[in-house]
Amino acid sequence: MPDGIAFKLVTPAQVVFDGSATLVIAVTTEGEEGILPKHAPFLAALKPGILRANVVKDGASSRLELATSEGFMQALPDRVTVLVDEALAFDDVVVAEARERLAAATDRQKEAAAGSEAYAREQAVIDFANAQLRLTGHR
Amino acid sequence: MPSVRDLRDRIRSLKNTQQITKAMKQVAAAKIRRAEEARKRARPYADALAEMLADLMAAVSTVDHPFMKPGNESAPAGIVLMSADKGLAGAFNSNVIHAAEVFARGRSAVAYYTVGIKARNAVRRMGFSDRPTWPLGATSKVATAREVAERVAVDFVNGTISEVVVVSQKLVSMMSQRPETLKLVPFQISLSASEPFDSAQDKLRERSAAESKGAVEFSPSPEFVLSRLLPKYLEFTLYSAMLETDAAFFAAQLVAMTNATDNASKLIDELTIAMNNARQAAITKELLEIVGGAEALGVE
Repeated sequence: MPDGIAFKLVTPAQVVFDGSATLVIAVTTEGEEGILPKHAPFLAALKPGILRANVVKDGASSRLELATSEGFMQALPDRVTVLVDEALAFDDVVVAEARERLAAATDRQKEAAAGSEAYAREQAVIDFANAQLRLTGHR
Repeated sequence: MPSVRDLRDRIRSLKNTQQITKAMKQVAAAKIRRAEEARKRARPYADALAEMLADLMAAVSTVDHPFMKPGNESAPAGIVLMSADKGLAGAFNSNVIHAAEVFARGRSAVAYYTVGIKARNAVRRMGFSDRPTWPLGATSKVATAREVAERVAVDFVNGTISEVVVVSQKLVSMMSQRPETLKLVPFQISLSASEPFDSAQDKLRERSAAESKGAVEFSPSPEFVLSRLLPKYLEFTLYSAMLETDAAFFAAQLVAMTNATDNASKLIDELTIAMNNARQAAITKELLEIVGGAEALGVE
């Protein structure tokens, strides 16, 4: 078993994961970023997407996949912290609701001027809904 | 002197009131536990956010973000006033509203943003009829906090308001709450000394003491991350204040309802004694009348 790093995934409402991981892949605004142990200090803004991690739980490694909203990721040589507003596991995603949000946000975005703040905000909602649908295999 | 029947009616109605206050007391006690748990769950997020912010502040020498610059001086001060949605919690709501008014007296003009129905009503009574308002007890406090943060951020950046101040109740202990005025924007790292800023400052001190962590790499750039992180910090601070208002409200309600129940008990006791006296007086009077009547008739 390779050495893991302390990995923490927190939202304002709860600590979603707190344990050890050997690899954390998150979607930053610049693209996907994988964090391995002993990563140089790194702080990135995340966009909504699917966060993947190889985590070690009770001595057995497993795969963690979550749809996450906008947030931040901080990597230090010995730990990774991910801060997001929402993180949904496969079972937490309500497909109908995600579809509804996606449709509503797409409609609202059409009203907003491209490049405006409102446009970007709706894009974040769209991305998050898409991530949820992708996670559950509905897209 | 009230009759026995009057007294009995009053006692009955007091007992009903007491039952209600007792029930409310128990509900408040249960809810305070839930509110406290929500507050505890938000803690790790506050710590992590504070740490990231500290990292950034150390990395960025000059910060070019509207939140870090002084606002439009000629505009009114923005006050985010937080109260509960309901009353029956002693002076809980009026205290926090009073604190906001005290703060407003020190400013030439203020613009209110209210969270909580009681705050909304108070601001309306002050004569500001169409200020933005949100309920405290919405299904998603995170969403509400985001909306409030967005609104004040937009108004601040546009120069509609000169600063953002939040006035809310702090939970000092289960027995006492204190209204507190907190300056949020323009953002000043070394300003306040209360949750969740305590942790932010501790982290800052730790960090500047250590300072040996080496260069942190930012993606895409420190400025960009900061421009994302500052609004998030504002949002989370508002969220955290909402959670605290919630917890403090139930604490205040618990105390108020405990007092109400005790006072009802005391009144019931007093009235019961008065009723017994009145009943006994009536019996004695009747006896005297019978005895008097018998004597007058000359019965042996």
